Amino acid sequence: MNGPLRPCDEQRLQTLLTAEEDTAEYRAAAEHLESCAVCRERLSDLAGEPCAWDEARGMLAGDETDAQIQQEETARPWQRFLSSSDTNAWTESMVRQLLSPPSHPEMLGRLGRYEIERWLGAGGMGVVFKGFDTELNRPVAIKVLAPHLAGNGAARQRFAREARAAAAVVHEHVVAIHDVESDSATPYLVMHYVAGESLQTRLDRQGPLELCEILRIAHQTASGLAAAHAQGLVHRDVKPSNILLEQGVDRALLTDFGLARAADDASLTHTGYLPGTPHYMSPEQARGEPVDARGDLFSLGSVIYAMCTGRPPFRADTGFGILRRITDTEPRALREVNPAIPAWLETLVARLHAKRPADRLSSADDAAGLLEKCLAHVQQPNVVPLPDACRPRPLRRWATRRRALTIGTPLVGLTLVVLAVLYPWMDRTPTDFGTRDKAHSQTDLPGAVPSEVVSRQGLSQLRPAHPVSSMDKGTHAEEVKDSLNGQNTTLPSADRDKPNEALGPAISPSDLDWDSAAREVESLIRDSESLRAAVERLWQQQPAPQTSAGDDTPADIEDQELSP
Amino acid sequence: MSRIRVSRLVVRLRPMPSLPDTRASLIVRLPDADDRTAWDEFAQVYAPLVYRLARRQGLQPADADDVVQEVLSAVARSVDAWLARSDRGPFRAWLLRIARNTALNLLTRRLHQTVGAGGSDVARRLAQHAEPETDTTDELDWEYRRQVFRWAADRVRSVVTSTTWRAFWLSSVEQFSAEEAAGELEISVASVYIARSRVLARLRKLVQQFEEAHS
Repeated sequence: MNGPLRPCDEQRLQTLLTAEEDTAEYRAAAEHLESCAVCRERLSDLAGEPCAWDEARGMLAGDETDAQIQQEETARPWQRFLSSSDTNAWTESMVRQLLSPPSHPEMLGRLGRYEIERWLGAGGMGVVFKGFDTELNRPVAIKVLAPHLAGNGAARQRFAREARAAAAVVHEHVVAIHDVESDSATPYLVMHYVAGESLQTRLDRQGPLELCEILRIAHQTASGLAAAHAQGLVHRDVKPSNILLEQGVDRALLTDFGLARAADDASLTHTGYLPGTPHYMSPEQARGEPVDARGDLFSLGSVIYAMCTGRPPFRADTGFGILRRITDTEPRALREVNPAIPAWLETLVARLHAKRPADRLSSADDAAGLLEKCLAHVQQPNVVPLPDACRPRPLRRWATRRRALTIGTPLVGLTLVVLAVLYPWMDRTPTDFGTRDKAHSQTDLPGAVPSEVVSRQGLSQLRPAHPVSSMDKGTHAEEVKDSLNGQNTTLPSADRDKPNEALGPAISPSDLDWDSAAREVESLIRDSESLRAAVERLWQQQPAPQTSAGDDTPADIEDQELSP
Repeated sequence: MSRIRVSRLVVRLRPMPSLPDTRASLIVRLPDADDRTAWDEFAQVYAPLVYRLARRQGLQPADADDVVQEVLSAVARSVDAWLARSDRGPFRAWLLRIARNTALNLLTRRLHQTVGAGGSDVARRLAQHAEPETDTTDELDWEYRRQVFRWAADRVRSVVTSTTWRAFWLSSVEQFSAEEAAGELEISVASVYIARSRVLARLRKLVQQFEEAHS
């Protein structure tokens, strides 16, 4: 024990208690313990006297009643409020400090020319009252800046600036701002009073919504966002509690434009305390990076997800945990949570949920247009086709579609195929197709991909506004795209050179005139017979797709190449 | 949900805010970030503690929930008085003192009245019932220390591997021998010793830190 190496030195035992487990000292000491029973006991004593061990046991062990109570505890209503950072509200005494005494006994108080009738709700940056405009004789909603923000010069200025910018947005799906008071001790803004409930309340009450309702609310929200974005205003806090549903007509109205930033100024950056719920933040926002309109699109995706499932897509026990999930993980697949949701809606949400802003739908306007078409499709599936961009996993479905062709292709399927095939060659004659195929099979491929597979995928890749982007295909899609870009000599070289672009944007340059192309295709659709003939001709020009296996081979290969 | 609750509160002028409101309003009022942490730590220890005591006294789960909420709300309301004092000492120490008194009063009071009056005035009760019963006092102090241990154990558990934790639990709390624990976990006896000693050392350190901070 007292040899030259002093293996039983107390300091070495101390190492076992405090050092990291991957250090050499720790490993050496641990090894010694394997053979030295004396040191094991000494280690125990070093960690705590016998009475300390006894106390720990006494404190942590429990009887049956204990076990039962402990089990109950996990589900108590107060439990989830103890450490979560996503709740924020006020007490009555704080409210009283803000308001002048009321002139009517049934009112809460007064603020300028407004009588405050009752409390509507509270958020990270302030409290909202229902009030009455005594001059204009109308009900209003009044949002008062929280005192801890009102005392902060930067937050006050931001509040006033953002509120005035938001007041300039006049849109049927944006809550109108009537008045902004930023000079008084208590800054506040006066809004149109929306009788009804927030989407959050609706979700709490009903859980997941009906498909039509989801699409309608999503479309209206997106169009409200588009109106704000058109004025250069970013919302920054799109979430169900900021979407109000008007009683009776259920019109969705977006509220609280840009105001999240005023709260950021004062508290988020200075104290690390996160105001409001971070559940619907975009990854760039969660990382504290600058946010543009595309951040709102991500949040819109999260809102749609919540409408489909009744809960936000990214969840964790702590605010920080939520942020990590937003930046690092994909949410659970929509249809896994709610199988009633159609695949195309899952695709649409995934396009909004791309981690990289550049991979998302390009604008709220686009999103609104798509959602409107989707809604029309759901309401009249036989009359209105699903928008092309909502088609889920088209590569996987290629084989199915071909089978459908032989049976009697539905008009919608034809549209897609024609879109896929004709767009890149709009200005070329049909005879070019043959040449093109030859060019393909002659190309030297580094990866030696069978030429028929490549040409098939090539066709799919060339579809406009390709829904399969890196969001659900990850690096595989990039690889395939790269290999394809290597051969598709007809593609503009500028697009080929963008290594990290999503599949769609890389291959369908935005300057193409899609509208006129779409009109041409529509006229083609009207003549379905000639269309059918054209497509069948195309298929005949394709080399036989199978080298050894049956009809499903292309689909299998695509799965290998492109499935996440 | 909380909106309905809050509006009812404002209209009736009956101060019984929901727990998230309680927490949030405190967070807003407490100027010091360290005090905000103190509140969260306090609530994490005290809410289960009060619940446990209330249940042990025979209250139904929902009634025990009410007591938890009343204690936290009452303490939160007293914060204003503490903030207004010029000679105020450390927040943590004050917090525990006031929480202890409030909980004792509420719990002993609960023993003698039917439950379900919801939203009753805590201050009035405090005045009416100045001398809490000794049994409850002892139980509360003991439960408090237990709760601090549990809190610390939760924290340690979340930073060590499950094998390490199990080694500690089996050989220390459930009193299996180190050899039995080693067999159960398929690790060496020495590893059991190391694991449980590391856990105990951390546990004691956390408990000590908590108590020092709140004394």
